Amino acid sequence: MAACAAPRNVRLQWAPRAPRPLLLWAVALAGLGAAGTSIALALTSDHVPEPGLQAALQTWITLPYVLGGLIAWWRRPGSRFGPLMVAAGFAMFASSLQWASAALPYTIGLAFDLVPAALFIHVFLAFPSGRLERRTERVVVAAAYSVAAGLQLLKMMLGGVGPDNLLAVVAEPAAANTVQDVQLVTLSALALTSVALLVARRRSSGRPLRRSITLLIDSFALALVMIAVLLLAGALELSAFETIRRVTFWTLGIAPVAFLIGLLDARLARSAVGDLVVELDADPRPADLRDALSRALGDPSLTLAYWLPEFESWADLDGHPVELPAHDESRARTLVDRDGVHLAVLVHNPSLSDEPERLDAVSAAAGIALENGRLHVELRARLAELKGSRGRVIEAGQHERQRLERNLHDGAQQRLIALSLELGVLRERLAGHPDAMSRLDRARGEIALSLEELRDLARGIHPAVVSGHGLGVALESLAAQAPVPVRLAVDLDARVQERIEVAAYYVVSESLANVGKHAEASSVSVDVARANGSLVVEVVDDGVGGADSERGSGLRGLADRVEALGGRLRVWTPRGGGTRVRADIPCA
Amino acid sequence: MRVAIAEDSVLLREGLARLLSDAGFEVVAQCEDADELLRKANSHEMDAAIVDIRLPPTHNDEGLRAAIEIRDQHPSIGVLVLSQYVELGLAMRLLADSAEGVGYLLKDRISDIPEFVAAVERVAAGGSAIDPIIVSTLLSRRRSDDPLAELTPREHEVLELMATGSSNQGIADALVITLRAVEKYVSSIFGKLGLPSTGSESRRVLAVLLFLRS
Repeated sequence: MAACAAPRNVRLQWAPRAPRPLLLWAVALAGLGAAGTSIALALTSDHVPEPGLQAALQTWITLPYVLGGLIAWWRRPGSRFGPLMVAAGFAMFASSLQWASAALPYTIGLAFDLVPAALFIHVFLAFPSGRLERRTERVVVAAAYSVAAGLQLLKMMLGGVGPDNLLAVVAEPAAANTVQDVQLVTLSALALTSVALLVARRRSSGRPLRRSITLLIDSFALALVMIAVLLLAGALELSAFETIRRVTFWTLGIAPVAFLIGLLDARLARSAVGDLVVELDADPRPADLRDALSRALGDPSLTLAYWLPEFESWADLDGHPVELPAHDESRARTLVDRDGVHLAVLVHNPSLSDEPERLDAVSAAAGIALENGRLHVELRARLAELKGSRGRVIEAGQHERQRLERNLHDGAQQRLIALSLELGVLRERLAGHPDAMSRLDRARGEIALSLEELRDLARGIHPAVVSGHGLGVALESLAAQAPVPVRLAVDLDARVQERIEVAAYYVVSESLANVGKHAEASSVSVDVARANGSLVVEVVDDGVGGADSERGSGLRGLADRVEALGGRLRVWTPRGGGTRVRADIPCA
Repeated sequence: MRVAIAEDSVLLREGLARLLSDAGFEVVAQCEDADELLRKANSHEMDAAIVDIRLPPTHNDEGLRAAIEIRDQHPSIGVLVLSQYVELGLAMRLLADSAEGVGYLLKDRISDIPEFVAAVERVAAGGSAIDPIIVSTLLSRRRSDDPLAELTPREHEVLELMATGSSNQGIADALVITLRAVEKYVSSIFGKLGLPSTGSESRRVLAVLLFLRS
């Protein structure tokens, strides 16, 4: 039904204050007084036919609207719907003043003659919040008031509605009649427009409503149709007017009764809250909590988001930041606050706003579970952040290593090679000096050793061949140099991201080194392939298995590297059954 | 003989150019990056190109790709790739289906001038020059049933030299034996390894490397 213009905040700590009981009692007494006055006026009137019946019909409307409005006001202090109903009841009473035989009350009553019709349109369109949410609704209601009250005064100034009309300025009964026809036809059209608005609103909300609410809306629509028919019958001066009037009044009285049934049903709907409480007792996981809330509210489309103050953002159940959907006709939000700060938000079908009790009760019942859920989600968000920062740290480390390797390659290594070349040239020139030549050869030998050490160092810092030429090429040398025969199968049609290749390279190189040190294996197989969006690296030996803790520390480092990329490293090493190391690293 | 050099370090580029000029080569181009080398290979007559495997802009595999492209486009130009690391996988990529006119050496080798000059000459003439580290990696490789165990120590030495691209004459000179003795050893090795004997000295390089790799 109506979508709220602003998020409806369930403030568990400071809910809207209920009206004072004294005020409610005073209004109730006034309502009873008004009904009594109407009855007395009817019975003592000199111009009311069938006064008993008229009084009964009048009371049938006045009392339910006043009393039902008071109950609504008391139960839903945040909604203006209750006070509006009360006003409609009293307007009905005011219009009955025209039964008075004295001129003043008669004139007042006459002025209010059509105001109840406008008020009924207002009440029905303003359900459930008591506010008119849409522009068209406001235009319709404003038009109804001006026609019902404004044109009524004009009509009365034109005279022609009895001798007791104190407002008569001229006596132009024909003109007054025309004004009255305009009034009746216009109001009738406005009532029918309101029916159309109600139907359209119900269509757009989409969600099947609770039966009591359907009944209520139906009774509103029926009452409006009857008002339209009654006003038209008045304009056309149909002979059946009196009958239609009785039926209309009777119908109008049904609406507040349907409303009271709806309130009662809303209380019954809280039994769903009871189920919720039982479910929450089992300390549900965040996803289950959403499902439980969804069942308790009868809204399968319900989504739940938590406010993470530390991140200053809303987060979904996995801790990922989310943007709340715009508050519009299709989605409504209900904020759940604790101690004045946001806790969570329910994003739900707007028609749930018709049942504020249910939302309140469910939110209140889920309070503790929501707080737990928030902690859970906060933890996940922090974990995700931690994972991200670990990945960044490893990535930064790798960049730094890559830079170091480049510096070594372009710096010291190049210079040493150039130096060695110089010495080689010098040696050729000193061909006749065997002593100098052998010294130069020794010097070159030293340089060659230094270069070899630097190469090993550089390779340890960063396997440049992986960045330069890919995993397949790099693993070929690893396999050829392994201390046991290696069967290598690399099934990759294209390069994958460099950091993934480097991690995979280390998995193989560390695993092969372990095989050489501990496994007493006679063969190893290394398999690298893509599967299901991951790079899968598997190193299997046929050695003794039972990898010890010392061996595990190298594996721990590998696992860190693989997990930082969102992957997983697993090791199977049954005693006597070989060792199998498998890394799954997600790759795009 | 005409050679081109592609090397981004000025120090080494100049050093190489001087060394080769001194040894009687005509250095027709000194290039800083792979694109320049490819342009020069299209526009200049040359017998060999000496290429650093890591060249700008990314210092990844530009040099290797340029070498492979020259092999495709200009089969008459020998390509000698220099690198600060030698990788079996790269050697196999470079050789692809033929070892003719291909060299792959550790950069350090340039300081042994006579050896290096011989390697450049060999590659320029359509022969091969494979770094001994690659060959020894392959030879030291663990195998479950090792056919190399049947070779005599002398045959082992001959195999090693053969795999690096040495000609029969080169092997004879290195081991101080006669050319006929080398030929005898070679045919005996091919027999023991079960390889079909092949006339060409450079074709047998690939055959031996592939055998050792498998």
